[in-house]
Amino acid sequence: MDVLHNLALGFAVALTWQNLLFCAIGCMVGTLVGMLPGLGPLATISILLPLTYSIPTGGALIMLAGIYYGAQYGDSVSAITMKIPHASSIVACIDGYQMTLKGKTGLALFTAGVSSFIGGSVAIVVLSFLAPMLGEVALLFGPADYCALMLVGFVCVSFVTTGSLLNGMAMCLIGVLLGQIGTDVNSGTQRFTMNMPFLADGIGLVSIALGCFGIAEITKNLDNKDERTPFSGTIKLIPTWPEFKRIFPSALRGSVIGSFLGILPGGGPVIAQFAAYAVDKKVSKYKDEIGTGCIEGVAGQAAADEAAARTSFIPLMSIGIPENAVMALMMAAFMIKGIQPGPNMIAGHPDLFWGLVASMWVGNCFLLILNVPLVRYWLTVFKIPYSVLFPSILFFCCIGTYSINNSLDDVFITATFGFIGYMFLRLGLDAAPLMLGFILGPMLEENMRRALLLSRGSFTTFITRPISGTLLGLIGIFIAWQVVAFYLQARKTTARHQQPA
Amino acid sequence: MAISLAFGLVSLRYPIGHFSRAGPGLFPLSVSCLLFLIGLFTVVRARFVERVPLDFKVKNIAIILASLCGFAVVSEHLNMIAGIVFMVFCASFAGTASYSVIRNLKISAGLIAVALAFQKLLGFNLPLY
Repeated sequence: MDVLHNLALGFAVALTWQNLLFCAIGCMVGTLVGMLPGLGPLATISILLPLTYSIPTGGALIMLAGIYYGAQYGDSVSAITMKIPHASSIVACIDGYQMTLKGKTGLALFTAGVSSFIGGSVAIVVLSFLAPMLGEVALLFGPADYCALMLVGFVCVSFVTTGSLLNGMAMCLIGVLLGQIGTDVNSGTQRFTMNMPFLADGIGLVSIALGCFGIAEITKNLDNKDERTPFSGTIKLIPTWPEFKRIFPSALRGSVIGSFLGILPGGGPVIAQFAAYAVDKKVSKYKDEIGTGCIEGVAGQAAADEAAARTSFIPLMSIGIPENAVMALMMAAFMIKGIQPGPNMIAGHPDLFWGLVASMWVGNCFLLILNVPLVRYWLTVFKIPYSVLFPSILFFCCIGTYSINNSLDDVFITATFGFIGYMFLRLGLDAAPLMLGFILGPMLEENMRRALLLSRGSFTTFITRPISGTLLGLIGIFIAWQVVAFYLQARKTTARHQQPA
Repeated sequence: MAISLAFGLVSLRYPIGHFSRAGPGLFPLSVSCLLFLIGLFTVVRARFVERVPLDFKVKNIAIILASLCGFAVVSEHLNMIAGIVFMVFCASFAGTASYSVIRNLKISAGLIAVALAFQKLLGFNLPLY
């Protein structure tokens, strides 16, 4: 019953009028960001991070979390009505858009909204029970285990986001090296600063995030010159009872799948959606209709999407290791506010942890109202032309980056990373692993040095400890599988080229 | 590979130490070596995969970077309101077929109002005027 007691404490924190306001702002901004092109949750959290300096810790974290899970809700609206996924709702385009073509937009939006609510609610229960348990397990982790866990995160994120382990790992390592710029905390040596005083504290996280995600993404959208026709059809939101009944089995399946996949390193909403959609295609009573625009094709993936977004907070808050780039940024937000996420956070700051958990449920209710009865008003957002939108985004990037240190030098650094991020984008390299590498790099170094110090320089400590040995074994198997897959693919390609015409 | 060499060679200038008591250069050197190896594998792999043309447009990124740098320079030497106006007018050259002075003035006015709200309500230290 401890959990219920703690949740009561959480609701007492989350239901103060200030925190309700921050939660509502977060959900509204998140929904807006999910709908609009050119700004994902990653870029938005980076932009708003400096703006939260003057907000109390609890309110700031509640707002940033609201942006993240709110964006998952909003994204499905643009995917269903116009077949444009911005943040993650790729799968919603399949059946959701088919339903729009059949004139069932209202039903699809209702299904997505209600399923997301179910997914979010299930994930909050999982989060409430699992995070404290995992926090206790995390106390068994030594420096070598943390190193292995971070490496697992690098490998998973690299593969999942870029699809190529080599490209992803390269980006991760570049991030780790960028994280080395500045003063070494152990020896006081200034590393890679090129005698520039403003680099002594390292490169600002916000500058990299805004450059690589904000500026690069704006330029990509300008290059593509996508002209979108706003949705102008009619919306009938309330479904019939038989339609309503069809939502639940699929949404519950999606919630369980999403909750599980959200916890795994490298996991998150995108994988959860695909997995839930695939499972529905196999086991649903209406599996033959999936793909042609049916309720199950929208419900399962929407629930999984939302559930995974919530449970991805579990590794961050209980172990202190973010499992994707958005969580890495959330970790930065925690650290800016002077809180180290990890096993001691739940015991040390129960009001903050349980307040955040309770606020997620409050946010869930806000989002249900915003995305079901009020959805037709949100659709007018699509009428804002991009020529008005992008100077505003640039403005927020400039103000955000300036206000960290009140220094215009940071604007130049952001511009530099904007160019680098754009180059990465054009080369087909995803900057998300770079972000993870940048944030975890100093932690990896610290734990590696500590592990080697304890083992008197012996690397066997990484293999003999059960947790790190298992995790490194998994990495080894994964890399071997990648090598074999590449070899087989290369052989197939060569055989195809050698075939006579 | 160039990035790994840049970081790797510079890290040789710092004390490396030994594994049981690592110096500030050891970790960046190890990571650079790993990155170099990955670069090498990528080069080898590139010989087995089909070539893809690089889609790179200089105009838009150049305008966006110029507007950002212009914002910083104008804000430093004049004030931030002028910097915002410069940024909007400069950035609008990117991507859009129709350039409208009136639209830019309206956007600038809106953004200056937001900046003033940040300064007065949230306590941001913005050198607006």
